[in-house]
Amino acid sequence: MKFLDQLFEQRSRQLAQHSSRRGMLKGLGALLVGGASIPLLPVARAAAQSPGRPVEEGDPSSCDYWRYCAIDGFLCDCCGGTANTCPPGTEMSPVTWIGTCHNPADGRNYVISYNDCCGKSSCGACLCMRDEGDRPIYRPDKTNDINWCLGTSSAAYHCSTAIVVGLAFEE
Amino acid sequence: MCNSFNLRLLAGVLGAIVAVGHAFAEDREVPPPLPVEPIGIIETLPSVYPASWFLVHDVAFFHMSDGKVWVIDTAKDTVAQQVQGTFNVSMIGNIRQSAKRSEIYATETFHTRGTRGDRFDVLTIWDQENLSPVAEVLLPGAKRFMGLPERYALLLINDDRWLAVANFSPAASVTLIDLDERQIIDEIPTPGCALVYPTGTRGFSSLCADGRFLSTELAEDGSILRQVRTESFFSSDDNPIFERPAVMDGTAYFPSFDAMVYPVDVSGTVAKVGEPWPMVPEEDAAEQWAPGGIAIIDKDDLGRFYVLMHPNATDGSHNGGGPEIWVYDPEAQARVMRIPLREWGLSLAVSRGDSPQILVTNPVDMSLELYDAMSGEFIRTIDGLGQNTPLMLHGAQ
Repeated sequence: MKFLDQLFEQRSRQLAQHSSRRGMLKGLGALLVGGASIPLLPVARAAAQSPGRPVEEGDPSSCDYWRYCAIDGFLCDCCGGTANTCPPGTEMSPVTWIGTCHNPADGRNYVISYNDCCGKSSCGACLCMRDEGDRPIYRPDKTNDINWCLGTSSAAYHCSTAIVVGLAFEE
Repeated sequence: MCNSFNLRLLAGVLGAIVAVGHAFAEDREVPPPLPVEPIGIIETLPSVYPASWFLVHDVAFFHMSDGKVWVIDTAKDTVAQQVQGTFNVSMIGNIRQSAKRSEIYATETFHTRGTRGDRFDVLTIWDQENLSPVAEVLLPGAKRFMGLPERYALLLINDDRWLAVANFSPAASVTLIDLDERQIIDEIPTPGCALVYPTGTRGFSSLCADGRFLSTELAEDGSILRQVRTESFFSSDDNPIFERPAVMDGTAYFPSFDAMVYPVDVSGTVAKVGEPWPMVPEEDAAEQWAPGGIAIIDKDDLGRFYVLMHPNATDGSHNGGGPEIWVYDPEAQARVMRIPLREWGLSLAVSRGDSPQILVTNPVDMSLELYDAMSGEFIRTIDGLGQNTPLMLHGAQ
């Protein structure tokens, strides 16, 4: 259930705020272990070897992947597509909503276009709701509560991509 | 020979036993056999639903063409007693009840081959007594609003003679339907403005990206008399309001992401925005409470409204629901009760009448929980209907 990700995240935060120092140290330890493992990821390692190439890191099938900051839907990476491609036999919506996400690997903010893939019933896997910067439907360019299978031959929503469409303007 | 004798003996004994049994049975008066039953009887419902009934709208997020609405009586104890009937709403549609017409209106979308083929958008009209689709109006242009359910995607106006249907294609407009004639009157452009909120008796207002209302007044024939844009009263970037108000006694109360309430006078033909007031008392400010969820708000008939609230609000937490319902008296501009939920709430609805009850969707297991709206006490869990994602709830009418 898509709400559970957020629910559990919120509960984790509440738990962390009210748990013991030992618990906090355990969490900190896990964070440090996780941090130590980041340079070992293939993408990061390749980047280290080729400093001229753009970098990003993380697991595109995980809801906490940096591009998914404003997403609400099934991750196409778990449905036969990738973070920026649709699964076979689906149709990508030409209109969509956007978010601005921070790429921790290069420190830049990017505009992400969350094009839906349409024409088959709900993918059902890797439901992810982050909603950062999401707005109600009177701001459609920032709304993920709409079925964006618009301008497609089928209105059936299948999954959502997260496509880098440019650098965000600095505020 | 020996075997033949034994068999005769056994038959004699059994005969005696049967005879004795019959004698006992006659003493106890044998009940008559079950009557032959008629075939083909279909249950019916009252034309106006009792106050303890709710409509549970499962949008079927995992199989959207199979959305369904349960009509349930929350006063009953078992599923068999609670479920009064169902009707389908295909592809995350929206519904609106008219007790006056004893009908329920639903926007739906179908493809001729399930998820593919030619697309048809329709307004389906269900009668409350039979839960049968008694009529439909084809909605042209593949534009009816389709998204997570809203209370104000459909609006009854002109004394329930007309229905306004919000469109998003992504161009925004409203299709006006004559419910007596079962046909479209007109399509009214609402550029940059979404949904349909009541204003006046023969009009509606829509909420715009630039923080204004667009109020549309209609003539007797349904044509546009005038459209007025109000002054901007919020920033959709910096202090957005929810598009989900509680409308009561001519005022629509819109909560905001940052926990203010914007009262909007909708009794006239043009929306009139009043002074906002805070939802969180000073003593709780440090906990950063804010509204959140899908059906986050509803009202009762006693002049109070109810909002799902969560602490530690952050960017992105506004759709996640909350662990408490806060009850407000809008006249006093004050919170009058906190109702801690047993677990978590994602959507709520309040029943009508003098003894209101609150039905809440618990997103942890997608069950429904019933609370007494006056005391805040938990009454019962309602589960096992077959529901998957009951994201929108309505107090029945």
